[in-house]
Amino acid sequence: MSLVAEALVSQIAGTAEPWPENATLYQQLKGEQILLSDNAASLAVQAFLQMCNLPIKVVCRANAEYMSPSGKVPFIHVGNQVVSELGPIVQFVKAKGHSLSDGLDEVQKAEMKAYMELVNNMLLTAELYLQWCDDATVGEITHARYGSPYPWPLNHILAYQKQWEVKRKMKAIGWGNKTLDQVLEDVDQCCQALSQRLGTQPYFFNKQPTELDALVFGHLYTILTTQMTNDELSEKVKNYSNLLAFCRRIEQHYFGKGSSSIRLS
Amino acid sequence: MAAPLELSCWGGGWGLPSVHSDSLVVMAYAKFSGAPLKVNVIDNNWRGSRGDVPVLTTEDNTISQPAKILNFLRKQKYNADYELSAKQGADTLAYIALLEEKLLPAVLHTFWVESDNYFTVTKPWFASRMPFPLSLILPGRMSKGALNRILLTRGEPPFYHLREVEAQIYRDAKECLNLLSNRLGTSQFFFGDMPSTLDAYVFGFLAPLYKVRFPKVQLQEHLKQLSNLCRFCDDILNSYFRVSLGDLHVQKVKPRGPATTSVKFTVASSLYERLLALCQHLSPPHFPSALQYRSLFATRQ
Repeated sequence: MSLVAEALVSQIAGTAEPWPENATLYQQLKGEQILLSDNAASLAVQAFLQMCNLPIKVVCRANAEYMSPSGKVPFIHVGNQVVSELGPIVQFVKAKGHSLSDGLDEVQKAEMKAYMELVNNMLLTAELYLQWCDDATVGEITHARYGSPYPWPLNHILAYQKQWEVKRKMKAIGWGNKTLDQVLEDVDQCCQALSQRLGTQPYFFNKQPTELDALVFGHLYTILTTQMTNDELSEKVKNYSNLLAFCRRIEQHYFGKGSSSIRLS
Repeated sequence: MAAPLELSCWGGGWGLPSVHSDSLVVMAYAKFSGAPLKVNVIDNNWRGSRGDVPVLTTEDNTISQPAKILNFLRKQKYNADYELSAKQGADTLAYIALLEEKLLPAVLHTFWVESDNYFTVTKPWFASRMPFPLSLILPGRMSKGALNRILLTRGEPPFYHLREVEAQIYRDAKECLNLLSNRLGTSQFFFGDMPSTLDAYVFGFLAPLYKVRFPKVQLQEHLKQLSNLCRFCDDILNSYFRVSLGDLHVQKVKPRGPATTSVKFTVASSLYERLLALCQHLSPPHFPSALQYRSLFATRQ
């Protein structure tokens, strides 16, 4: 957000308006339209809000991506504010007086930010690569899902346009020439780093969950429970038992499910 | 290992062994891990592609990006992370991701997009190390690549103007520098007393920002206020790169005006030199005298 806009938002949010009961989170249609990376982002925000004990209603709309102020899902509609993406949402919630990372010291905060960038840099980019640059997945899953709410020929046009945009971005950051195996190796490295950082603790910063836990949960849970053309991505994550336990723990604690829907092969 | 390892990379200036971040990361890692690298500085005679720099050549293969080169060196048993614990290894990966996401866009902007800096410092420096006509084309291409990268990764709505993107990336970079400074604290390196991969990456990104003289210096000013990061760069330069500083060629200033015409040129270079002089004539008036150029063709008499 620009400096002026951000100052305005934090000022408005900080005028002690309590969190309303009718706050809503918008994402794409769950069953037919939403893709892996968007689902991960949405779940991360939902987990974060649950951890802060803030009520939120999830609403699915086909044009959520276009309604969002930054073009990315999910976004939340609170009072008369609309905020999208986990980073700005965390700041917005902090301005309202709720924060998960207040108890951390400076070094820990630096570590938390660094690990969040690691997840965005490697896991999110790998998900985007798999969805849009791997031909098998694109043909079988992505194109069909992305354009499903729209009539022909709009569904094809929108899907190709999005694919072109994502491929441009991949090329700019140097992922254009990577093969699927290299991408999976990067995912493995990232999971190994997360697993080593988590160790035997319940959360990344010991007793209390932070936004990093929400982000990691969102991505790993989505990877584990989404059916893709091949299971290699979820296999990489399943190699690390403490990450699986971590996901199950958060699922049962914050999403109140009696039994976990994470399957072990 | 017995196989000779040759690294081709961009050369140095302003007290640095290289002004290119990626090249500097590899050179620093080689020093830390004790890898015997033969460094070939790119000059006008280099025949390979400049897009892949730095490039490591061994007997059997050629490896091009810093991450891959470092992986290769580790496999050859030149490992600077030997003493790190598993958690510290994980932290390394996370901090490198932080550097690439938060600091790199601003560094690219300072070097390649900010027009005062680009036209007075970066473009002439790189152009002087490429043969004509590449010197007219490649710097422009590198600049466009940098702008592209910044816009594609950070230039999404609600930013609709480059100025807003710039404000955001510089804010992120300053925050990243503060985080690094907090993390380093008073210790000599990021993980204790021995330098590791993370130190190589931080040095590679920070040292050019710290040392190169630019007209527009907002990020550099911020960095200079973080004294522990400046001390970190200076320590590494003094301890690991002191010997090679002596090998850097002393670069002659190329004066403008009447002095130029009295220098005799060899026939093969006269067209190139006149074009260069013409370009300098057309460039912004405050052509800093601190800039050093080496023209391979000109011989002063």
